[in-house]
Amino acid sequence: MELPSKINNNEKSLQQGISPSGNGGLISNSKLTALVVDSDRICQILEKAILESQGVETQVVGSGRDALDLLASGATFNLIIIAMVLPIMNGVETTRQIRAMGIRSKMLGVTACSYEREKQAFLDAGVDEFIEKPLTPQKLASIMREMRNA
Amino acid sequence: MERTQQHRQVAHMRQSLFDQGLLDEQFVQLEELQDDANPNFVEEVVTLFYRDSARLVLNIDQALDKSPLDFSKLDSYMHQFKGSASSIGAKKVKSECTLFREYCKAGNGEGCMKTFQQLKKDYAVLRKKLETYFQMARQVGPVETACRRK
Repeated sequence: MELPSKINNNEKSLQQGISPSGNGGLISNSKLTALVVDSDRICQILEKAILESQGVETQVVGSGRDALDLLASGATFNLIIIAMVLPIMNGVETTRQIRAMGIRSKMLGVTACSYEREKQAFLDAGVDEFIEKPLTPQKLASIMREMRNA
Repeated sequence: MERTQQHRQVAHMRQSLFDQGLLDEQFVQLEELQDDANPNFVEEVVTLFYRDSARLVLNIDQALDKSPLDFSKLDSYMHQFKGSASSIGAKKVKSECTLFREYCKAGNGEGCMKTFQQLKKDYAVLRKKLETYFQMARQVGPVETACRRK
């Protein structure tokens, strides 16, 4: 099945490891930018679609390692949306390492689980907020408003 | 006149998916992400969900065949499955995922197996109903309420 451009562009970006804007990994600062770190394709597509529908330039990676490599290369983002369950290095550990790099972007932890213990672990690792999947346009709009007003 | 009746049938079919508790508000969020450039976004995301989740269903089936059961692995698989199921608004499937995870937490193998059997049935029923709905929707053309023009 041929996927439409909204899904195909996401797939191409994932394969090439570049920003959808095609600027080689460095996201322009002229609009809000976001990085989605999630290994689930459905969640990647949905989160990217929601972000882009609100005018946010978005890049997607499928693992904690890819996120760290991208950030280490100098890419900067206003917002990082990170899933708890990731291959090899989970979202909590990835968050810790991102914060250890000195990155102060707003971080939103997302998970399909609502156990208090897991939520607290994510917050302790350094996410600013934690939400239960799925991400909704309303929730994102509220975060975007805070960021634009900051 | 006939076209109007067909549109009504499609709308009725759509509504029944909500009334039967198979879909929740998240499905509406997906519909609102559809636009003129991607008029079949919802159908394509749902198709991708069923394609990707087939592997997880198989993994869970295989894990449930093992003895003793690895509840941690089962929980991890179901966590992933729940994330994408909730992203497409699969309400009943999502609640069965939650129940399954509770049985995992309690170390209740029988509970896990029974819940998973039910989950697979509901997952298949939803797939069939959505396939029928999308097919009908394509035949009658776009329904105004399903797409929000940008």
